[in-house]
Amino acid sequence: MKISLSWLKEYIPVTHTVEEIANKVSLTGIESSPVKLGEGLDKLVVGHITSIKPHPDSDHLNICTVDVGEDEDIQIVCGAPNVADGQYVIVARHGAHLPEGNRIKRGKIRGVESNGMICGLDEIGVPEKYVPEAYHNGIYVFPEAEKTGANALELLGLTDEMVDLDITPNRADTLGMNGAAWEIGATYDEKPEIKKATIDESKVVKSSDVTAEVNDEKLVPDFLLRELKGVTVGESPLWMQRRLWNQNIQPVNNIIDSANYVMIEYGQPIQAYDLDKLQENKVVVRNAKSGEKFTLEDDTEKVLSHNDLIVASGSQILGIAGVAGSINARVTKDTKNVLLESAVFDGASVRKSAQRHDLRGDASNRFEKGVDNGNVSESLVRASQLVDELAKVESISEEIVGSKTEAKPTVIEGSISHINHLMGLSLSSDEIMNIFDRLGFEADLNGDKVTVTIPTRRFDMSIEADLIEEVIRIYGYENLKGTLPAGMETKGGYSAKREFSNKLRNVLLGQGLDEVINFALLSKEEVNDFNIKDTNLTKLLHPMTEDHEYLRTSLIPGLINNVAYNQARNNDDIAIFEQSRIFDRSQGEDRPNEVEYISGAISGNVTNDSWNTTSKEVDFYDVKGIVEELLSFTNAKAHFEYIATNQISNLHPGQSAFITADGQRVGYIGKLHPSYQSDHNVNDTFVFELNVDELFDLNKRRVQSQPAPKYPSVSRDLAILVEKDIESGQIVNDIFANGGKYLIDANIFDLYQGSHVKPGHKSLGYHLVFQNPNDTLTDETVEKAFDVIKDSLVQKFNVEIR
Amino acid sequence: MSLNDKLKDLRKNGVNEAKRAEKLQELNDLRVNLLGKKGPITKALRGMKGVPAEERPEIGTLANNVKKDIQLAIEEKMDELNKQMIAKKLEEETIDVTLPAQSRNIGTRHILKQTIEDIEEFFIGLGYRVDAGHEVEEDHYNFERLNIPKNHPARDMQDTFYLTDELLMRTQTSAQEGRDMESHDFSKGPLKVISPGVVYRRDDDDATHSHQFHQIEGLVVDKNVSMADLKGTLEALCRHVFGPNREIRFRPSYFPFTEPSVEVDVSCFNCNGEGCRICKYTGWIEVLGAGLSHPNVLEMSGIDSTVYSGIAFGLGPERFAMLKYGITDIRDFYLNDVRFLEQFKGVN
Repeated sequence: MKISLSWLKEYIPVTHTVEEIANKVSLTGIESSPVKLGEGLDKLVVGHITSIKPHPDSDHLNICTVDVGEDEDIQIVCGAPNVADGQYVIVARHGAHLPEGNRIKRGKIRGVESNGMICGLDEIGVPEKYVPEAYHNGIYVFPEAEKTGANALELLGLTDEMVDLDITPNRADTLGMNGAAWEIGATYDEKPEIKKATIDESKVVKSSDVTAEVNDEKLVPDFLLRELKGVTVGESPLWMQRRLWNQNIQPVNNIIDSANYVMIEYGQPIQAYDLDKLQENKVVVRNAKSGEKFTLEDDTEKVLSHNDLIVASGSQILGIAGVAGSINARVTKDTKNVLLESAVFDGASVRKSAQRHDLRGDASNRFEKGVDNGNVSESLVRASQLVDELAKVESISEEIVGSKTEAKPTVIEGSISHINHLMGLSLSSDEIMNIFDRLGFEADLNGDKVTVTIPTRRFDMSIEADLIEEVIRIYGYENLKGTLPAGMETKGGYSAKREFSNKLRNVLLGQGLDEVINFALLSKEEVNDFNIKDTNLTKLLHPMTEDHEYLRTSLIPGLINNVAYNQARNNDDIAIFEQSRIFDRSQGEDRPNEVEYISGAISGNVTNDSWNTTSKEVDFYDVKGIVEELLSFTNAKAHFEYIATNQISNLHPGQSAFITADGQRVGYIGKLHPSYQSDHNVNDTFVFELNVDELFDLNKRRVQSQPAPKYPSVSRDLAILVEKDIESGQIVNDIFANGGKYLIDANIFDLYQGSHVKPGHKSLGYHLVFQNPNDTLTDETVEKAFDVIKDSLVQKFNVEIR
Repeated sequence: MSLNDKLKDLRKNGVNEAKRAEKLQELNDLRVNLLGKKGPITKALRGMKGVPAEERPEIGTLANNVKKDIQLAIEEKMDELNKQMIAKKLEEETIDVTLPAQSRNIGTRHILKQTIEDIEEFFIGLGYRVDAGHEVEEDHYNFERLNIPKNHPARDMQDTFYLTDELLMRTQTSAQEGRDMESHDFSKGPLKVISPGVVYRRDDDDATHSHQFHQIEGLVVDKNVSMADLKGTLEALCRHVFGPNREIRFRPSYFPFTEPSVEVDVSCFNCNGEGCRICKYTGWIEVLGAGLSHPNVLEMSGIDSTVYSGIAFGLGPERFAMLKYGITDIRDFYLNDVRFLEQFKGVN
């Protein structure tokens, strides 16, 4: 809410600039910013139209003679349909600056000299929707005679300086001038002067036509009405109108404007009805029937839910309580008798109805956040007072009560020492009591104990912690000196699993992979692409878009998006990884398990063409090398194997493998399937995915140091011819199974398939290394082991030793 | 010719030949030829028989000197030739050092992880545990235990992705507070923990909003923690992240799970508080929210709020990184264009 300084001055003395006040209020209470209306605008004055005649060459222009407070009247050509002789209007003089850089210059309009412009409110900074209906599409006309030549902006409130309070939901007490004055007053140690509302007792009548009824007093703790008879509906005076449009409220007529004005003063929304339009002499607040319909004041129709709280008269719906009025009992210029309503409606109910019907507004905003129930009655008095002042009421009924709840001030007990303790300060009880006084709280001190009575306007306060906040903010956070918690020493750090995954990330970074972070919410298609374990999908109840609907079961779809995004931008060579969670939901469970994965994608060249190198595209074995190094850092007490598979539908059936640890799958590696690649616009790409949680569980290897070998190793080369389908891994496993305890290494150094070997066969060469840690190996020992190896290979795989 | 003259002649010729030599081989040959056992000096000395006995020592000395001089001449020349050879080799081997290297790249940690880990390490140094918590969380921990019952207006501030009526994608890492509080054994000392991680909101993605982003929650619960401790802790954090000369200020704010609640501004690291575009000419930049744990929050975890108090704070790594590196679009963090990612190599 914007607090106009000129209005605020009616409550407290204001001596500081709007910037200073906004800054100070931000630091002690509510985030605020200064607003200065009319900046950069000038030469806008009051003019009095002394004569008017039609433009000879136009059917809609008029030539006006306007008194602008100077010796000679000026001539202005005006096209507004509502311009008329005798009006007091806004005149932009020659050279005037208007909003958005518009400038007025003397000129000729269809051959007739025009010395300025007669303006509408929207042309000088009032948004069109807050301009009174009568002046839409036309010029503004002052309701009363004003001094010609006077500053029009000032008269219209458009030079106001305001502090814009951006309240947090707990500080709805400042959504009215009274509460705001208390808040800003406390900041400057000034108690606001708040005038008590009164009505002309001679007009009060005991009887009333209507009665009020509330079905659920929990939802409607207060519901008060007053009948005001014999009103004269008309335009509100300028002082009221300008305050309303500066609050982003459109002035309508003196009844509705008075109601809105009270809302701004007290923070209490007031609703006005045309008493004569009620269907019955009874106003009821009840829940709507499902499907019940009603028409808003702007003619749109709403279908109600049984959760909507409505104000009704018989079957006639007067409005959604606290949210919006209907067209049925609207106050119009012909209204003679008025019914005013001041109530408290349940915040949650109002909030939901406002959301349901997309009708959030000034009133619903206040009910949602809370209103001061100590003010309901007085607000109604004030509204009646204003209506009487502006619309000359004949009689005012007494309060008609639907429900009424006694407003009880909250009493909070606190202790001076505890308050100091939690602030980390040592203020005297006098200092603290003084702060309570500035806030208008009554406080009694009894030793260390303080009993604070909170006025009903501060309905946000309920516990000692609230007192602490009041004390420290008024005392000033800037006066608080920082310290560090001085408790018992604690050992900080990561969990063992986090240390583990950090280590794995470091391996991949060391291998040159860039780290990425992707969204965990995927489209239906994406989430199915690499759901290797065929886990149950987890879906959002109310997704925003189809792109982010399901919880991921793999990190690969995100990585593929990244590869595609980069390759579309000519970043062809991509090596990336992500370490993050996937969501694996067991059958029958609602809650998915969150499992840490680490996954990578590599595409393009691993070496580029340069002056001394030729490019090389990534292949399976480059990626396998990265994975192997990663696995070697898992400290796993397990044997890892690569089991070829054609079961992963979006991977190349001849270039993919499950990775197992002692036979248990911990991940997979492979090339993307060519059709998947073309669907996703990526070049040849290899991926891997590993389950970090499972690898962490294998992290059990205990290293027992061995001295570096002192004796030389002996090597033998083994060349064999074997059927094409036999995997090197099978051969190597067999070599180790039979190589004896001195065999320490078996590396493949040659692989040949082609015209020089038997069809359906391949030639393999292995380099075997033997070593005895305790002695020099003899040729004889090595030969013996070598023979066992060869014999086994011949027997098991029918190899030909070459 | 006397023996004496003969030897002098040999010396003169030998030294001259050594000086004229152009290859090492010539010098080696020269040494063998002149100084070897079959060489002319040895041969000449055989003529000593004809030399009177009193002259023999003189001749002997001369012969040795001749040998030495020739030897010296050969060695000098060899040295010279060697130097020439090395110089030539070096010249031949000279390369263009401006040609590009064979790249040996290490990958770049994502800038958000760098930002998070920098903050984590800061708090680890102060004795905080790092507890990442759950991304799928119960409504109970994400809201109820944070003093945000159903129908609380604060639920409007964070529109939520629900999975079921009771399960949701956590909207704040504060969701971990309840779990950390209820599982902590206070007989073993204070609870000091930070919870970094991913959170989710029902937001449309644009330059300043993302339906997925990160937060780091911090929490200390002990018998004697105060607002002053909160200020000191965050002051130290802001100086760690934004530079040693930073100041912070607290402004009152509202969070349902802290009371008092504050927003924390840091003095602008770009202009030192003078006012610039980054701080919108205020000299201050809002960086996080914090407060004293609301007594209800402590009590719901079985902690006696008359004895214990807590400080809690929550910060956004995206915001920190955007401020620190001038990143203007939050979506850049999740598009993962490698040209964007790699510019942050080694910043932390």
